Amino acid sequence: MSQTVNELGIAVVTGTLQGAVYALVALGIVLVYRASGVFNFAQAEFGTTGLFAAYAAKELWGWGYPAALAFGVAAAVTMGLLTERLVIHPLRNAPRVTLLVATAGVALTAIGVQFWQFNETLVMTMPKIDDGFFLVPPFDAPVTVQQLITFGVLIAASVGLALFFRSPSGLAIQAAQQEPTAAELVGISVRRVSMLTWAIAALLGGLAGILAGPNTTFSAAFLSFGGGAALLPGFMAAVLAGMRSMPGAVLGGLSVGVVEQLGTLTIVSENIPGARAAVLFVFLLAVLLVAPTGVFVRKAALA
Amino acid sequence: MSTTGHVPRHAAPGQPGQPQQPSDTQVLPVVDDTTTLPPVSPATDAPPPVTEEPAFRPGHVGRAVRAAIWLVLAWAVLAMPTNLLSPFEIGVADIDIASRAVIFAIGGLSLHVLLGYCGQISLGHQAFVGIGAFTSAYLVTDLGLSFWVAIGVASLLGAVQAVLLGMVSLRVTGLYFALVTLAYGAFAESTLFGITPLTGGEGGKPAPRPVGFESAEHYYYLCLGFLVLVLWLDWRLTRSKAGRAMAALRENPRVASAYGIDVRAFTLVAFAVSGVFAGIAGALTAHHDEIIVKSSFDFRLALTFVLMTVVGGLRNRVGVVIGSAFFAILEEGAFVALVEGAIGGLGFTPTFFDSALGLPAEFVGLVVGPLLLLLTLTLYPGGIGQQIAPVRQWLTGGRFDRHAGQVREVEVTDVRA
Repeated sequence: MSQTVNELGIAVVTGTLQGAVYALVALGIVLVYRASGVFNFAQAEFGTTGLFAAYAAKELWGWGYPAALAFGVAAAVTMGLLTERLVIHPLRNAPRVTLLVATAGVALTAIGVQFWQFNETLVMTMPKIDDGFFLVPPFDAPVTVQQLITFGVLIAASVGLALFFRSPSGLAIQAAQQEPTAAELVGISVRRVSMLTWAIAALLGGLAGILAGPNTTFSAAFLSFGGGAALLPGFMAAVLAGMRSMPGAVLGGLSVGVVEQLGTLTIVSENIPGARAAVLFVFLLAVLLVAPTGVFVRKAALA
Repeated sequence: MSTTGHVPRHAAPGQPGQPQQPSDTQVLPVVDDTTTLPPVSPATDAPPPVTEEPAFRPGHVGRAVRAAIWLVLAWAVLAMPTNLLSPFEIGVADIDIASRAVIFAIGGLSLHVLLGYCGQISLGHQAFVGIGAFTSAYLVTDLGLSFWVAIGVASLLGAVQAVLLGMVSLRVTGLYFALVTLAYGAFAESTLFGITPLTGGEGGKPAPRPVGFESAEHYYYLCLGFLVLVLWLDWRLTRSKAGRAMAALRENPRVASAYGIDVRAFTLVAFAVSGVFAGIAGALTAHHDEIIVKSSFDFRLALTFVLMTVVGGLRNRVGVVIGSAFFAILEEGAFVALVEGAIGGLGFTPTFFDSALGLPAEFVGLVVGPLLLLLTLTLYPGGIGQQIAPVRQWLTGGRFDRHAGQVREVEVTDVRA
């Protein structure tokens, strides 16, 4: 029994830290959904693209770590902007499921290019920003500095977004999301706002990829459904946030991280093969059947 | 405005003096108000005889050419892949690819029932197919049942799991349902297919071919037979009350419900049919590969199914079949071999993709497929089905009309999520 309690404690710590990656992805998903009404299946692929660009810069071209990070983020943002220009904008009046298929197509294109360009080294690794790690009492949960940095980036991103949405540009984004025609009338370029939103979302996705990649080895489609699959958890976090609330996305990401870790408990994983996926599936079904409008969402925001 | 004795500005078709035209998109001539039209007295003008244009019928040469092309098509499907009456020598590996193309077509039609007819997206179709595959393999290998029983049970089980998922779709709609299917696919992949006694774990499960169909050629005809069966069922489905009900559901479930269509029942029927098709495709996949491993039913397979259905052209059966076969051939790298063979025949370097684009053959499908999807969605919404529509109309004895089968946009369905 005490072993289970111990594992539970470790799962909560690990899950919360892993959840930081999901929260970053979820923030991007919520942003894009509010701006374009799209379930963006390419969100995690922004992260993998950023990660691969950083990897190429650091390991293949011998750049310094900060320059590689900046290059990775820039690559993700470029991909976000291209997606908005070439796919989302031409389809802005199309049904939403069509748009969903289109973003899945963007993700698949990116995955195809990753397979093609990096086919010599199928499994890649990238050094962490800091290799340190320590055990957190009372359960001796292993925590790496990289995970703490990721968590710090999440907090910084949340605060930054909260401040940004109070600035003129942020208010313009909110206005354009709520009433595009009226926003155009008061001089807000809806087109620019849409590009800005996608750029921010891609930035968040890129950060998630670059920070999560060094934790383990990675290959093509790493963040979508590879070793660091964050697409489905990210969507779950966004669902918990009612697809609208930014603080909800952060809380949702952290809780999905913890719930997923419950699948790694010995009593669960001994009895169910692939318990993590099963736990996530049951959790998603439960959330959608019981509270389809979200959990971490202010009731006033629903009205 | 028009006064008495003048021709009214918008004369109704069929009015005396206006020749009747069969087209209903006829553009009426714009009449300038300032010019005075000559008075026309309708009483004296005899109405011109309504000339019904006779239906187009091809002449002798046209009929002969069409018949020749039909023969070539039939030969390409029925004879060429198995080296019958064929000048080419096709290896066993290529016959296997042809069988795979046929199986993919069945799988594509399975997803098409949901995506095209019902407007329900499934991102977990690898689970549909995988369950059929492992069921059939288990029944044949472990229980020693015959292939024919196994494929029946596989399609039944496929229907059962699809109906269970369909019940969820009644509660969770639209984009949220897409998430459920995504999670379901991941769950099936790692949990259901991870049950080692049933699926054989990492080593996989052997699935021998049925007696009499062991050779690649015979198995190809078996797959072709099932494709014909599935196509017939699919055609009957769209011609039945269920098909019309699904079309109504796709447009708007509430309106359909107000017209007395049982939303619950017909949604579940669509899922059941899709599950049966997927079960057949899965069982055929299992006995085609002869040993199946769970890693072949990953999320990429589900996305490939979506790709081939949309690129093939929604609500266009022939388009979906061609699209599926195309993607199956593309996956295996055989398409590149075909193209390079053709280019090589013209005297150019036969490694076009590798040397000119730096794209090795095994990655062509991965890169080209998604790009085709994006092109289909943004520029050519009708997919392959629309591209071949003029040829199809011509082959069935019509005129060659470049604009046959135009579709304005890929309308999957609109959902309010």
